[in-house]
Amino acid sequence: MPNSFERALQGITVCDFSWVGAGPIATSVLAQCGAKVIKIESLKRPDILRKGEPFKDGDNTGMDRSGYFANRNANKQDIALNMGHPDAREVAVRLIKQSDIIINNFRVGQMEKWNLGWEDVQKINPRIIYVTMSLQGLNGPHSEYMGYGVNLNALCGLTARAAFPGQPPFGTGTNYTDHVMVPTHTLFGIMAALLEREATGRGQTVTISQLEAAISMVPSDAMAYAANGEVLPPLGCGDPQAAPHGVYTTLGYRKWLAIAVFTEEEWGSLKKIMGNPAWAEDQKFATLEARLRNQEELDARIEAWTTGQYSDWLMDELLRNGVKAGMVKDAREAIEDPHLRQRGFWAYLNHPVVGVSLYNRAPVKFSRTPVIMETPAPSIGQHTKEVLSGMLGYSEQEIQKMTSDQVLV
Amino acid sequence: MMIMENNYFSKLKVLDFTGELGPYTAKMFAGIGAEVIHLEPLDGDPLRQVGPFYKNAKTPDSSLPFCCYNSGKRGLALNLDHADGQAVLRRLCASADLLVESFAPGYLTQRGLAYETLSAKNPKLVQTSITPFGHTGPLAQQVGSDLTCAAMSGFLYLAGVGHEKPVRSPDNQAYRMAEAYAAVGSTIALFGAQRSGKGQFVDVACIEAGAGALENAAQFWDLEGKIRRGRGKEAGTATIHPCADGYIAIVAIMGKNKVMWTPFVEWMKQEGVEEWEVFDNDKWIESAYRESKEGYDTFCRVFERYTMQHDKRYIYETGQGYSVAVTPVSNGKDLLENPQLKARGYWHTVHNETLGGNVVYPGAPYEFGEIRWQQGGNAPRLGQHTREVLAEHGYAKQDIDALIKAGAVYAE
Repeated sequence: MPNSFERALQGITVCDFSWVGAGPIATSVLAQCGAKVIKIESLKRPDILRKGEPFKDGDNTGMDRSGYFANRNANKQDIALNMGHPDAREVAVRLIKQSDIIINNFRVGQMEKWNLGWEDVQKINPRIIYVTMSLQGLNGPHSEYMGYGVNLNALCGLTARAAFPGQPPFGTGTNYTDHVMVPTHTLFGIMAALLEREATGRGQTVTISQLEAAISMVPSDAMAYAANGEVLPPLGCGDPQAAPHGVYTTLGYRKWLAIAVFTEEEWGSLKKIMGNPAWAEDQKFATLEARLRNQEELDARIEAWTTGQYSDWLMDELLRNGVKAGMVKDAREAIEDPHLRQRGFWAYLNHPVVGVSLYNRAPVKFSRTPVIMETPAPSIGQHTKEVLSGMLGYSEQEIQKMTSDQVLV
Repeated sequence: MMIMENNYFSKLKVLDFTGELGPYTAKMFAGIGAEVIHLEPLDGDPLRQVGPFYKNAKTPDSSLPFCCYNSGKRGLALNLDHADGQAVLRRLCASADLLVESFAPGYLTQRGLAYETLSAKNPKLVQTSITPFGHTGPLAQQVGSDLTCAAMSGFLYLAGVGHEKPVRSPDNQAYRMAEAYAAVGSTIALFGAQRSGKGQFVDVACIEAGAGALENAAQFWDLEGKIRRGRGKEAGTATIHPCADGYIAIVAIMGKNKVMWTPFVEWMKQEGVEEWEVFDNDKWIESAYRESKEGYDTFCRVFERYTMQHDKRYIYETGQGYSVAVTPVSNGKDLLENPQLKARGYWHTVHNETLGGNVVYPGAPYEFGEIRWQQGGNAPRLGQHTREVLAEHGYAKQDIDALIKAGAVYAE
């Protein structure tokens, strides 16, 4: 007993039908915290992210070279189960009987086609947490609409203000909602239902609307429109509470330094580091309100000063003097960042096809229960025999038969 | 009735000492029924200073972000520089399940409020700390903001193409990301505490949350030695286009997925778009062509000729009718008028007595079979529930008066 819970989610089993982006990120976090996650895939219907860039050495042959896929699927076991075959359901049912969580991000109705909707699954295992992740909810006029992360970024209001004044909006440049807003709300919902089960003994449904989860992290524009009848302007790199506040060119190829000055004290420190230039004493820059009014000129002045300097040295000097500053790091610099490295954020796992390659753990550190990156992303069906003969109790002959019958492919 | 008796979250006690960074974490707990007390310094939570403001009038209670992230919480104003204030936090923690805070590393320890002290009489206590850089590592003691964390994590770099400067996302996403992960970490630690009786300290850093949102950029470096920037210049693959009243976003194709492209061509054909025939060509299935200047310029020329004649809503509903992943670039007005969100009753309108009017809030991010999500009461005024909360924690009226007089707490 004392040692059995040394990982927070030890003993929790996840029947994972999720694929592509947000679902696998969520279940990966559960796996890092000790849950046993069984990913259900099929050679007939592989996770399409296996064909998503980048690939080891740019070579996309086979199904195991995608880093996009790998980073979302560490620590998982993978069984090949062809759900199109009528005998596959029984295997899923055996797994569901032993699972605490079942999750999918299929279009509405897919699980029901396999007779694995909530009504059915609840009868198989009344303690299970049943998780669905539709784009816009299960009902309403747009519930059948489709979209990818970039669409959802735009729809939820994130993209509109991520723009420089007078230019088209750009957004994050990524499928942001898939990576953060949706998986975190999914995880919180799952854990809430698990905690509730500790009290009630019953499982329940957790129904995510990806759109509704996303809006909860970008509420300002809609709230402001409701209150004031105005749409908020593009943000650029600015902040209504700070000036200077922006991204300034420094020496080097695509090198910028972010500087964020919120208080008069910080502004005083920045002026001192700049050598107290005469322009900075102008009334135009004397208060935050004045600096915000004259932001364009202020930014040009600051940039004239940063342009001939190294971003890393300047950042260090600013930070030493209490001015918030950060180099705009590219991925390589983030990977090589001593802080992230020392915190064990990056992990290198040895993949049988790809070799030693890069993953990141969940951005949470616990003092007592470790978050562990253990095994690289699995191949399709890598653990089929192990899982079926082990926890699901199938005999060697049964497994052979189901393989030749195209069930376990 | 059984459900109510067994409800886990109605018995969960959460303390939330956060400001500009941190408030969404405990808001997520308030939303599913936990009792959350928002602690703030005597001069007020700094988030109260952050706009946009209700009716564009800045008052201590009119910050819409403050209203949003602190609704469903009660409020207690507490001075942690005062020994008696520190004692109050220790007492509150003795019966709490979760403390969420966003103080700089060392701040609480210097005041005799380290996790070991706070959990001494309550070993199941979980403390979740949200900071720019976390409690360990060479940057731990450095100052940071949303923008600088986004920059240093590698996240900001992706928000641009070519030599362009990156653009910032609204609503402090480096903070929001950390808060969302802090909520997840808190539930995982609470689950562990539920089973083992032992809580723990949960360290969430904005820089890590940002670095966890690089999509595939870290692997692009690791596997191919390439530094990527943002999506947005490959024709029809996550591109944004102007229309009559704003912009729309479209993913008409990804990779070599011709099954996606065919419905797009059909849409253009049926709408009688001039030159639609140029899209009826397999060269568009190759990403190299879509990335070329010719491909991108051609796509924009023909597609935007159509989009500029119609509004976001028309393009959205028409394109989706052809199974094309096209969506509006919504602004606040679009979101409030969105038919799907309206039909689902997403937006909650709540009267706020302090502000003398109605405030509209985002609704539930999820639905459960049993757990009921709730909007909760309005965000507290400074010290609104100080007396009530202290009384619940065993302070007699004269003790409370003494704490107020000493400047250890503030009650309105």
